[in-house]
Amino acid sequence: MLSRLVLRAAPAALRSLPPPLAVGVLHATRALHTTQQPLAPLPPLPEKGGEVRHGLIPEELFKFLYPKTGVTGPYMLGTGLVLYLLSKEIYVINHETVAAICILSVIIYGVKKYGAAVAAFADKLNEEKVAVALAVKNKAIQTLETAIEEEKKEQWRVEGRGYLFDAKRNNVAMLLESNYRERLLLVYNEVKKRLDYQVAMQLLRRQKEQEHMIQWVEKNVVQSITPQQQKESIAKCILDLKALSKSAQAAV
Amino acid sequence: MAGRRAAIKAVDWAAFAERVPANQKAMFNALKTRSDALSARLAALPEKPPAIDWAYYKSTVANAAMVDEFQKKFSALKVPEPVDTQSAKIDAQEQEAAKSTAEYVQASKARIATYEQQLQKFRSMIPFDQMTVEDLNEAFPETRLDKEKYPFWPHKPIGDL
Repeated sequence: MLSRLVLRAAPAALRSLPPPLAVGVLHATRALHTTQQPLAPLPPLPEKGGEVRHGLIPEELFKFLYPKTGVTGPYMLGTGLVLYLLSKEIYVINHETVAAICILSVIIYGVKKYGAAVAAFADKLNEEKVAVALAVKNKAIQTLETAIEEEKKEQWRVEGRGYLFDAKRNNVAMLLESNYRERLLLVYNEVKKRLDYQVAMQLLRRQKEQEHMIQWVEKNVVQSITPQQQKESIAKCILDLKALSKSAQAAV
Repeated sequence: MAGRRAAIKAVDWAAFAERVPANQKAMFNALKTRSDALSARLAALPEKPPAIDWAYYKSTVANAAMVDEFQKKFSALKVPEPVDTQSAKIDAQEQEAAKSTAEYVQASKARIATYEQQLQKFRSMIPFDQMTVEDLNEAFPETRLDKEKYPFWPHKPIGDL
């Protein structure tokens, strides 16, 4: 009866303890709900759960009991509790106990042997998901950055429009200038052609006149040679040739 | 001679070529070849035609009066300069280009601003392994599952899985 009273009074007693001590008790709530500091944004959840000994008993119990009972305190407590339960037959040993022992030993063996591997596998799956998301995010960042670069480049390109118009104006100026020069050249060529034509005409005329005159003179001279003169000139030529041949023979 | 000698500004073709985007390279090349052809033609023509030797002609040609007449008319002749019809158009084009450029640059700046904003959002996101599902839905609204439209798991059409 007294024990029932204790059991009922326990929760009230727990609440009456000052907050830091309430942390150390078995039904420990997280520090977040009891501390006074306002935390916003919330810090990220811790990676690992609280430290646990033998897979069941939180480390806080050992820390809590250490000042009063030293290192063996919690173990003695545990042993005492177990012996109490067994001796008072609060826990009855029956065939279910044997089954429990077998099942638990198999489970513990399995967890101990393959626990790490399975955890690593599960972590890898999660990692892959996160990596995919991260890759997407990085790609998005990169795309945005290149887009910004491209925009800036296009703005720079657009600044060069002055070149285009300069080139166009240059073209027009060159065209006009060359056109003008061509016209000047045309005028010059035409005038020169006409003057040269006149000069050429004159020269040709002169030439033709000269030729005609020469021919006419020749014709007249030939006509004026009488047959008598022809015979005389031929005889003279023969005499001259004889004299020349004599002197030539002598030379040879 | 006032309109002549419209200054031919030296165009830096290399710098010009840098600024031409890839899809307009053909146009640029056409412009360049045309420009080069024109400047070659201009360089081939002498600035002034050679002077006519009137003394020689006067002494050679019999009809000196004709030569004199030619000479007078030649020196009195004014060759008309070709009329510039295109410069005004080019200037108008330039004004238009300036306007559309300003618009484009403004639009471009607006685009850059949106990009910067999104970039900021991405850069200031918390790392994925510290996000909850609500954080994820906040950061990427498209991941939010519509629990009203599809009340049963998986809260989206099966085809979207």
